[in-house]
Amino acid sequence: MTLDMSVRLGGLSLHGPVLAASGTFGYGTEVPLLERRALGGMVSKGIFLKPRQGTPPPRIAETPSGMLNAIGLQGPGADALVRDYAPQWAKWDFPVLVNINGESAAEYGELTARLDGVPGVAGFEINISCPNVEQGGMYFGNDPRAAAAVTEAVRKRTRLPVWVKLTPMVSDIGVIARAVEAAGADALSAVNTFVGMSIDLNAYRPRLSFRTGGLSGPAIRPLAVHLAHQAARAVDIPVVGVGGIMTAEDALEFLVAGCSAVQVGTATFVNPNAIAEVHDGIAAFMAAKGFASLADLPRYLPRD
Amino acid sequence: MESGLLLHDAPLTAAREVARGMWVLSFEAPEVAATARAGQFVNLGLEGFLLRRPFSVYRAEGERIEVVLKAVGAGTQRLVSMRPGDVVSCLGPLGHGFDFGGRGSWKTAVLLSGGLGVAPMPLAARDARAAGLQVTWVHGARTADELCSESDGDDVIMATDDGTSGFAGTAVAAAPDADVILACGPNRMLAAVADRWPEAQAAVETYMGCGTGVCLGCAVPLARGGYDRACTEGPVYRAGDID
Repeated sequence: MTLDMSVRLGGLSLHGPVLAASGTFGYGTEVPLLERRALGGMVSKGIFLKPRQGTPPPRIAETPSGMLNAIGLQGPGADALVRDYAPQWAKWDFPVLVNINGESAAEYGELTARLDGVPGVAGFEINISCPNVEQGGMYFGNDPRAAAAVTEAVRKRTRLPVWVKLTPMVSDIGVIARAVEAAGADALSAVNTFVGMSIDLNAYRPRLSFRTGGLSGPAIRPLAVHLAHQAARAVDIPVVGVGGIMTAEDALEFLVAGCSAVQVGTATFVNPNAIAEVHDGIAAFMAAKGFASLADLPRYLPRD
Repeated sequence: MESGLLLHDAPLTAAREVARGMWVLSFEAPEVAATARAGQFVNLGLEGFLLRRPFSVYRAEGERIEVVLKAVGAGTQRLVSMRPGDVVSCLGPLGHGFDFGGRGSWKTAVLLSGGLGVAPMPLAARDARAAGLQVTWVHGARTADELCSESDGDDVIMATDDGTSGFAGTAVAAAPDADVILACGPNRMLAAVADRWPEAQAAVETYMGCGTGVCLGCAVPLARGGYDRACTEGPVYRAGDID
């Protein structure tokens, strides 16, 4: 039996359901050892219009089954992305979405306009959920009106697929999900990192220079599965599950919980070939269960 | 993608204590042993810990690589309590190492280390000798029993902060000048190195996530402003370029 691992979602055709999550794959030009045949798509490291230096070290701290990071969206800015990376993406056989950031809705719109139509840019993932920037970031993601305003500002500037990456740091993710759906989002990525803090008991201060960081890794997976499921129940657009996926079983939990695809992030830090192993494990599961395509996978998605 | 990077399980073959609490662990990793250059590192994964731990390749001989460490946290505690045959996941060799071939006029090399900064030095000595350089090691530590004594028959100068062995003072103060200075140790020591020899090659130690350039966790502040990645542009820098 031929397995069909392809997915159509949010305006894109992917040859597999596993994407590389933003901030865990650079601009796709690193990550040796990965078998790229397995990559359904890639979301770039988050970018602002202008170059950013990021936060001072220490930027990461290991925690039980997880890690905290506060990189601060270090990046070269839109012009360098267009010059150095997009031409390479244009030659690849999987789509690249650019994770876009701004300090105001207008700035998101301006960045979108700069990147729209650039060969190699297949779509946008709006980051309204970064916990590690002083201005913007998560602020937009926990206010439905601000989230919708950013989504509209991007939507007006492009006909490419627009995904919105949601923050888990909200009391009802469904409210935000519905707000950005109404504002024109084609898909949701759920979820970004949780805000956390860890203390250095020798220095009597936080282990990260930014004080707080975003928690990722297996520690957050059950929380992320729940939030992705809640988002999927709230909207009609597809949801891409993300949060602590290390194995195919982890990815399948998100898929059964109502997601159309998944993103693998922190796992790539530990195992550069993690994405391929997740992809192959999903295929093996489908074959063992007798599913011919991902659409056949049962979804647990009761409607309210 | 073309790269010399390898990912293998590596069994522990031996362990020896080279200073108080400082252990050299030997792992069977033939391909890494054959290709690692001085200053490069491996990122070791342990069952039960999410992130890998980066270690300079201390020696690479035959089928084996060595790393040197102290038990400072749960991960390094686990490593020093491993038994022969126990396995780590070894990703490497990683990073840009020391440069020995830049100028044909180089005749002498000083390998300057503080404490665990000895980590890249045996391989540096090997590669420096292979490049035809006369090698002098300078080992620094707080006190005599924390000094790593390995120096492979080259000239060696010891320095201790408390004067219990060799020169009383810092390794930087004890070191002679040379055509090429290779340094590794605490940030304060590397700053003193940069003051005396801005052209020295300094290997930095940082927190690290992936080791492969994607997480941006191992940021090194640069004198010209901004940061780059210890795992990819480093871990060896021109000493004067580090802020």
